Amino acid sequence: MVSSQNAINNSAIDLANDLAIDLTDVHKTYGRKIRALQGVTLQVRAGEIFGLLGPNGAGKSTLVKIMMTIVRPDTAKGTVLNRGVGDPVALARIGYLPEHHRFPTYLTGRQVVEFSGAMSKVDRPTRKKRASELLDRVGMGDWKDRPLSSYSKGMRQRVGLAAALVNDPQLVVLDEPTDGVDPVGRREIRDLLIGIRDEGRTVLLNSHLLSEIENVCSRVAILVQGRLVAQGTIDELTSSSRRYEIVVEGSAPAWCAESASVRMIPAGQMLSAGIQGESCRLVFLGLDALGAQPILDRLRSEQRTVIAAQTVRESLEDLFMRAVTDPTTGLIYRPGAVT
Amino acid sequence: MMQTVAIFVGAYRELSARKIFWLALAISLLVVGLFACLGINETGISFLGWTFESPMFSTNTTSPETFYKLLFVNLGVDWWLGVLSTLLALVTTCGIIPDLVAPGSIDLLLAKPITRTRLFLTKYCTGLLFAALQVFVFSTASFFVIGLRGGAWEWALFAAVPIVTFFYSLLFSMCAFIGVLTRSSVASLILTLLAWTIIFTINISESIVNSGRIANQMEAIKIESELANTEDPVDEDKREELTGDLEKTLANRPTWDRAHFWFFGVKTFLPKTTDTLKLLDRWLLDGASMPSRNEESERGPQQAFGPKRVKRGEFQRAVKADEQSHSIWWVLGTSLVFEGIVLGLATVIFVRRDY
Repeated sequence: MVSSQNAINNSAIDLANDLAIDLTDVHKTYGRKIRALQGVTLQVRAGEIFGLLGPNGAGKSTLVKIMMTIVRPDTAKGTVLNRGVGDPVALARIGYLPEHHRFPTYLTGRQVVEFSGAMSKVDRPTRKKRASELLDRVGMGDWKDRPLSSYSKGMRQRVGLAAALVNDPQLVVLDEPTDGVDPVGRREIRDLLIGIRDEGRTVLLNSHLLSEIENVCSRVAILVQGRLVAQGTIDELTSSSRRYEIVVEGSAPAWCAESASVRMIPAGQMLSAGIQGESCRLVFLGLDALGAQPILDRLRSEQRTVIAAQTVRESLEDLFMRAVTDPTTGLIYRPGAVT
Repeated sequence: MMQTVAIFVGAYRELSARKIFWLALAISLLVVGLFACLGINETGISFLGWTFESPMFSTNTTSPETFYKLLFVNLGVDWWLGVLSTLLALVTTCGIIPDLVAPGSIDLLLAKPITRTRLFLTKYCTGLLFAALQVFVFSTASFFVIGLRGGAWEWALFAAVPIVTFFYSLLFSMCAFIGVLTRSSVASLILTLLAWTIIFTINISESIVNSGRIANQMEAIKIESELANTEDPVDEDKREELTGDLEKTLANRPTWDRAHFWFFGVKTFLPKTTDTLKLLDRWLLDGASMPSRNEESERGPQQAFGPKRVKRGEFQRAVKADEQSHSIWWVLGTSLVFEGIVLGLATVIFVRRDY
């Protein structure tokens, strides 16, 4: 019995297709009306930090809960750690920290982490050793033998992170891990996530903090009303919005009007402060710095003064806002999808 | 196994973190301490040096061993463990299942490699830990009191541990069912107490109706016997009176039988909380000389309820014999079926729900 448990804990699951999460066609309807997920397909590569984004009610938590067997899907094809959804062997290799977790407050930090380890079938000596190491790692070493009732919210969050890591997981699923944590703590958690990734683990990060996602995630997915509207690296997702902007003195050259890819913006409208006199901003969609050199050469040959020239692309926030805005009405999508 | 041990250790930590657990334990020891202070001598009952004369309780009617066993069963088990301690246990444990299914708590457990059925049933069993620990401490302390004061080292006392724990499990299964259904500790507690009251009322009603039925039968037999012995023609008036009483008694019989049939039928489908605790009577006090069985009681005053022509002791023995005619397996088996159905429903709800 013990040896089989150790086998579960000590052996990493071989990810033949290099995907830690490979889900297709995930559907979930609450009751008869609320369609939380409508055919979501999500692929998370092994060893990356993947960000799951979406407005409230988009279905992010439902998707995570389906992976963790907390919610039962209507349909869910695919694998998590190369096993079917809810497979106990895979669950033993996943570390999970839910958003509004409620650890018993009469337990000490060490007891919380050890209990989590025991429930993941980590043998006693290993979980005792790892509990101490992990609590030190999340900065709770001096508090590990005090009850949670004396902890702040941020401290409980750190203990929760340690508990999620006690089973030496291949996949770490974190739902708002920096909720209630101060800026210094956020920085530490961000460093911890990068450390976890550098150890070869996969992290699925569900967070509302776009800057947090932008800083640590190599790939992201955006869910809106139960549908996946975007998935890829931030570069890939913002490439369509990439543009090159040149600000020149005077009015726009006549040849610019002939090009469909050039958009002229009236003088002064979006110029930064300090620029005096008439000027014009030329926006070249889909152009990078290299592609802009012939245009700059032409402007100089026409004796134009180039005031500014730079590559501009959407921030993750711009991308997110674009994804959650109804293009026809210009309004933010309402939470959830009701049939 | 590792997970089961972890859940039980967690449950013990939860219990020990609650003041009410230690309070109930302290009261248990206080109750046993009071037993130890009580004694029995030739004239009556003694308490810390004072003697209270009693014709019913003295070493002439009751041995010290029986006296302490009676205290243990009738006061310790029936009242302390069976009522007051059970109330404290319900107050303490009514939150176990609602806490389990609370958002943020259930997520942490369901994400682990453990089946929902096993998780729920293990948590249910941890709820019985409170009752089991209380009864074990109480029985151990009573064992030493009866041994040292009564001179009998009665190992059968420890039968109280499984019996009272089983009795508590009948109530806690309803508490768990309501807890998983409503997710509310307060609703679990109140509705369980309500269910317990209803079950108790039905049990008592069945017991009263059954006593009435037995009284009716015994009265009829007694009258028939007296009629057979009254052959003297001078006693014609008495014969007439007896015949009238017999007709009245026989006329009432179908009513008693019908009432008992329905009460007994309903009781059969319910958990036998009272009968379960009475199993201890059978094992511990079997053959012991109950004070109610002495001669004075046999001749005792006419009871308000019961046969008029039958001696009280004889009637009580008949009622007790009828109660004990139900086999242990009927008492435990039908209760287990009820518990199984309630727990099964609770488990199905727990397993099929989204959290």
